Amino acid sequence: MGRLYAIEIIYRGIFQKLLATRIQRAIVLAAHNEGKVGISFGRYGDSPERNGIPAKGFAIVATDPTTLEEGMAKYEPKEVDITICVDDTLCKGVESWAWYGLQPVNRLLKPGGTLIVTSKEGPETIIAMTHRKEAPYQLSILKGTVSFSGLWVYKDDHTDVRILGAVAKILPDLFSLKSVQKAILSEWKSELKTISAANAYERTTSITVNPNQGNPEVPYKFDLPKWHEMREGISIPSIPAGHEMDDPKSHAEGGFQPDRNPTFLKFSTRTMRPVVNFDTCIKCTLCWLQCPDSCFDVTPEGLYDANMKACCGCGVCEAVCPVKNCVTMVNEAEFSDNSSQWEAWRENKEGYKSWLEDKIKNPAERSHGFRYRGQYEEQIPEMLEIAAGK
Amino acid sequence: MDTYVQVDPTQKLDAYKAVKKIPLDEYFTSGHRTCQGCESALVMKMMAKAAGPRTIVLGSTGCMYVANTTYYSTSWVLPWMHTQLGSSGSAALGAAAALKALMRKGKMKKEPINVIAFCGDGGGADMGVGAISATLTHPDYNCLILMYDNESYANTDIQLSGSTPWGANTTFSTPGSVRRIMHRRWKKNMAGMMAAGHPTCRYVATVCMSYGLAAMNSIRKALAIGGPTFIHSLDPCPKGWDYDPYISHELGELAVNTGIWPLYEVEDGVLKLLGRTQQIAAKKIPRQPVRDYLLKQGRFAHFTNDDIDYFQSKVDEMWEKWLVPGVIPFKADLEADAAPSS
Repeated sequence: MGRLYAIEIIYRGIFQKLLATRIQRAIVLAAHNEGKVGISFGRYGDSPERNGIPAKGFAIVATDPTTLEEGMAKYEPKEVDITICVDDTLCKGVESWAWYGLQPVNRLLKPGGTLIVTSKEGPETIIAMTHRKEAPYQLSILKGTVSFSGLWVYKDDHTDVRILGAVAKILPDLFSLKSVQKAILSEWKSELKTISAANAYERTTSITVNPNQGNPEVPYKFDLPKWHEMREGISIPSIPAGHEMDDPKSHAEGGFQPDRNPTFLKFSTRTMRPVVNFDTCIKCTLCWLQCPDSCFDVTPEGLYDANMKACCGCGVCEAVCPVKNCVTMVNEAEFSDNSSQWEAWRENKEGYKSWLEDKIKNPAERSHGFRYRGQYEEQIPEMLEIAAGK
Repeated sequence: MDTYVQVDPTQKLDAYKAVKKIPLDEYFTSGHRTCQGCESALVMKMMAKAAGPRTIVLGSTGCMYVANTTYYSTSWVLPWMHTQLGSSGSAALGAAAALKALMRKGKMKKEPINVIAFCGDGGGADMGVGAISATLTHPDYNCLILMYDNESYANTDIQLSGSTPWGANTTFSTPGSVRRIMHRRWKKNMAGMMAAGHPTCRYVATVCMSYGLAAMNSIRKALAIGGPTFIHSLDPCPKGWDYDPYISHELGELAVNTGIWPLYEVEDGVLKLLGRTQQIAAKKIPRQPVRDYLLKQGRFAHFTNDDIDYFQSKVDEMWEKWLVPGVIPFKADLEADAAPSS
C-alpha cells in the first residue's frame, strides 16, 4: 500500500466556493506534477450551498491508483493531514448544511496535523476560538484579510496561491514548491501568482497547540431519532408557537420570544454579529421585522434583542436601522459567547455602555462580497502587498 | 357578488394600519438553512405572520422547501407540507377543496382556514404556470398562490428560469469571450399574465419585502377576498444575484425605485398602482436609473454601457410605451428592438 494524503478545505458557502474549488483542484494538479494521483471534491451534504453556511471540500492524493481508490471509497476522509480554514471565524465550529450539530474545525486533523487559518488575528485569538483536541496539532496562520467574493465574480487576491505555497512548506512529501508553481502557471498563467506562492512558502511557520489549549466547551449536538421513533410518513412535529419574555431584573413578563428549530442553530454561519445600543433604540421595529431569520427577541419593554444562537450575521438589521450606531456589525472574532446583550444591559447599563463603545470603536474590517462594481479592484492591492511581504 | 358560485366565508383579515400594529407572533421561525440575507425566507416569515395561526401552507420544491425543512427538521410553526415542483396550483386547489368537503360532511369543524401554496419562479412561472392558471379559474375555492421570485433556480445553484432578467449571469448563461450576453430573453410577466388572463380571479398583486407592511396587507387582502388569488413577490437573492447580503433590503427598494419591479394590485379587475410605483407613475418622484441597481450585482458585472443602456430602454418602454404602464406590454405601435451585439 502506498501513502494517502488528505486535505480538507473548510469555507463559507458561496462566498468562498470559487476560492475553495481553486485550492483543492490545484492541490491535485501540483501532486500530479510529481507523479501522484488524486481527486478533489465537495462534500455532498453541503450542496446546494448557501451564503455563509460552512461547507467543506477535499483533495485526496495517493502515491498509486489503488491507494487512491481506497481513499475515494469513503464518503469523506476520516482523518486529514491538513485542514485549511479560509475564514478565521469558522474556528468557532462548523455547523454545516447537513445534519451534524456543531463540529470542531480541527475534528478530522491527524495527531500532529496542521490547521492553516487565513486571518488578521494572532494565534491567541485563533486558539481561544478553536475547540480543544485530545492530541497536539500544529497551527499555521496565513496573515491577511479573509477573502470573500461570490458565485460569479472572483476576487483574485492571491489567497489561493498563498495557501498552496503554505501547503508545500507544511507537507513537502505531497508536493514541492516547484510543482505547485508549475501547476499555478498552467492553471492561471500568472508569474506574479507563483511569486506570491513562493513568498508564502518562505514565510510559513507553525506553532504547536497542546490538548490543554483552546475552547473547553463541548460543541452542541443533538440525538438523531431512532427509526422506531419516526412518525408515519415523514411527518415531523412543528415548532411550538413561542412565548413571552421574562425580565431578569424586574421579572416583568411581556414581549415575545419565538421558539426555534432545535436542530439547526445557524450561528456558525456568522462572521459578524449585530451589537445593539438599547439606550438609543427608538423601537421602530425595522430590525425585527426585516430579519430573515426571525432572530430578534422582543423584550417586555419593547426592545429588540438579537438572539445569538439564531443570528447568522447578514447585516440587514444594521442596514435598515435609522439610528446611527444603534445596530453595528462587529467582527465575530471579538466575542467568546452567545449570551443575551439585552440581559447584560439590564444587569448593568453603565458597564454595557462601555462594553459597547469598546466593541464598536473599530468597525469590522470584513467584506461579505460584491457591493458595487470596482470594489474588488480597490481591495486587491492591499492583499497583494501582504502577499509580497511589504 | 350574487352568482351561482358557492364561496365559503374567509377569515376577516383587516389591513395593518401601521408597522407597530403588526403582531409579535412568529409562525415561520429561526433555524432554516437559507443564505445570509435571504429575502425569500423573509417572504415566508411575513406571509405566515400576515396569515396567522389558522393556516395551512403547501410548498413546492425550491429553496423554501429544501432549506427550510431539511433532514428531519423544520422552522415552521404552521402545518406545512411539500408538494411537487409544478403543482402549487393543484395543491392549493386540492387542499381548499378537501377542507370544503370535510366541513360539508361534518368531519371537521366549520371554520375559515387559510390555504396558501407557495412556489418559486421555477416552480411557478416555468413548471407550474398551467396548474396555477387552472386554479385561478375556480372561483369557489379560497386559496392563495404566492410566487417568490428570486429570478433563477436558486436552490440548485442558479440555473436560468423564465423569470431571469435579460443578460444575467447564471449557470446556464455564463458570459464567455465570444459571446457576452448569453441570456437573451426578457423576464416573464407573471402577475400581469395572471391578472389579464383570469377574469374571475378577484385579486392579483405584486409585492416586495423591502416594503413589508404593504406586502403583508396585500397578502391579507388576498386571503380575505374569497376565491383563488395570486401574489408575485420579487426577492433579491444574495447567492444568485451575487451581492453582499447586507444590501438585500436596499436592492428590493432599488428594484421598485428604478421601475423594474412595479408594485400594484388588481382587485376585481380594478388596477391600482401602489406605494413608490404609484408615485413614479404619477411623476411625483423620478425613476432612478437602472444602472444604480445593475452595478450592485455580480450577475451583471459583465455588462457594458451599451447593455446597461439597452436594459434602461426596455424599462423606459414599460413606462412610456406600454398601454397599461408597468403591467401589460401591449403597445399602440410597433417598436424596434435593438439589443446590443454581444
